[in-house]
Amino acid sequence: MLRAAGKYRQAFLLGLQGSLVYRWNFAVRGFFSLFHLAAVFILWGAAFAGREQVGGFDLRQTLTYFTTILFLQFLISAFNEDYQISEEIRQGLINQFLLKPINYFLYRLSIFAAARLVSGALILLPLAVAYPFIHEALSFPSEPWRLAAAVPALFLSALVQFTIAYCFGLMTFWFLEIQGLVVLSMAVEAVLGGQIFPLDLLPPALHAVARFLPFYYQMYFPAAILTGRIGPTETAEGLALQASWVVLLLLLAHALWVRGLRRHTAVGG
Amino acid sequence: MSAFAHHFRVWVASARYSLTRALMFRGDFVIWSLVELFWMGVNLLLVEVIYRHTDSIAGWSRPEMLLLLGTSLLIQRLLMGFFWSGLYDLGRNVRNGHLDFFLAQPGSVMFMVSTRKLDPDGLVNSVVALGLVVYAAGELGLRPSPGQLALYALLVGCGLVIHYSVLMLSTASVFWLTSAQGVEGGYFSLIEFSRMPREAFRGAAEVIFVWLLPVVVVSNAPARVLLHGFEPAWALGLAGFAALWLGLAVIVFHRGLRRYASASS
Repeated sequence: MLRAAGKYRQAFLLGLQGSLVYRWNFAVRGFFSLFHLAAVFILWGAAFAGREQVGGFDLRQTLTYFTTILFLQFLISAFNEDYQISEEIRQGLINQFLLKPINYFLYRLSIFAAARLVSGALILLPLAVAYPFIHEALSFPSEPWRLAAAVPALFLSALVQFTIAYCFGLMTFWFLEIQGLVVLSMAVEAVLGGQIFPLDLLPPALHAVARFLPFYYQMYFPAAILTGRIGPTETAEGLALQASWVVLLLLLAHALWVRGLRRHTAVGG
Repeated sequence: MSAFAHHFRVWVASARYSLTRALMFRGDFVIWSLVELFWMGVNLLLVEVIYRHTDSIAGWSRPEMLLLLGTSLLIQRLLMGFFWSGLYDLGRNVRNGHLDFFLAQPGSVMFMVSTRKLDPDGLVNSVVALGLVVYAAGELGLRPSPGQLALYALLVGCGLVIHYSVLMLSTASVFWLTSAQGVEGGYFSLIEFSRMPREAFRGAAEVIFVWLLPVVVVSNAPARVLLHGFEPAWALGLAGFAALWLGLAVIVFHRGLRRYASASS
């Protein structure tokens, strides 16, 4: 058990080194995301003009939601893991993992965790720069249970994010080029994950359907817990649904891996 | 043969090659057309969701906002169709030395780099964006005169020049930074502002995004032509911005080109 943990610890450390090489790219990306935040503040500021509330929440609560989403994008979201996995399959680099006593999913998950640790830390820099200008527009709820519930929700969200990206990467066993599919799914994930607008602003019927989809648990759910958009009952139900989606996605990932390997042809020596 | 005619013939040859390639990879063409359509749908959905809860954004009604969004998307799709692939490849080509290929071609390097590839999927979706503009104009009961339509087309062209220049400036940073990844993303962050009414910008945001960076006027100016007719300040302002930013892009690209040292052994 400890030996196995040691293997993935090394993979994590390798991932950490690899991500630190691209620290400036992450940092630049982080600073440009402040433009996105500015756009959000301006658009929603204009939409709230002359109104106390939109969809039951005031302007500060809405801006807090989007700021939290921005932070979570760097902390738990999959960046280009699907593309990296796809390239490893396409170029035959995956063959080395078939010959070693290492689980490819856990190896990739370790690298994902390292990359998010770096990007999650680096986004704090631009947020710290922006803080003096935006802190008056933010309002976080003070209930301690939210932090306690957010920890497992964030962990499970990261697993949902990664496993979906992993499954898309494995599609390369069937399709040579998956980039189009990935970007297509990004649009769906952005909307149904609550990155474009808070999902509670959708018509109630659509919102109810969205709650049962995995995208809801990628970003919206932990952000909604942290920013007070859902209560304790909905949080408890959500955690159960989120855990169910993790199990289902892990089963899907395993099935794709087993079936994909049957189609895979390793060439070269 | 004039330089213009020569470059036009080169562009036609490149466009024919790109179309042939798109027909060879029809599945890719369909997928990428859907990708762009979906992302346009995402923007449309945002507008629809906000207007479920409010009647106006900075004094703009829903159909007015759709007109602005359609105009912004039209300019962006034209950019994607005509220039995106070439400029995206520029970053990679500088890094791996493949820019040599463009330096050896008979024509302006900046032109060759920018127009080497045409993306039919972007152009197909520009028709969808235009459809959104027509729908919004119909909702507003607008009956634009031929002069208004001509001016709208001209200002959309100016907007395209500005978008191209901003993207070129972002990508040309590769000559100094080695990797333009992340910096290219700056372009996409900035175009978010082009989907918002100018009246929404106040204080420092107005100075930065309306006056310093031309990201707001780029779509507001053409949309206002359809809504309010010819407004000299807006039309001339946009044309001036287009000339200024294109000039800046030309200077920066050629300065960068001087730093290019190839990568071959």
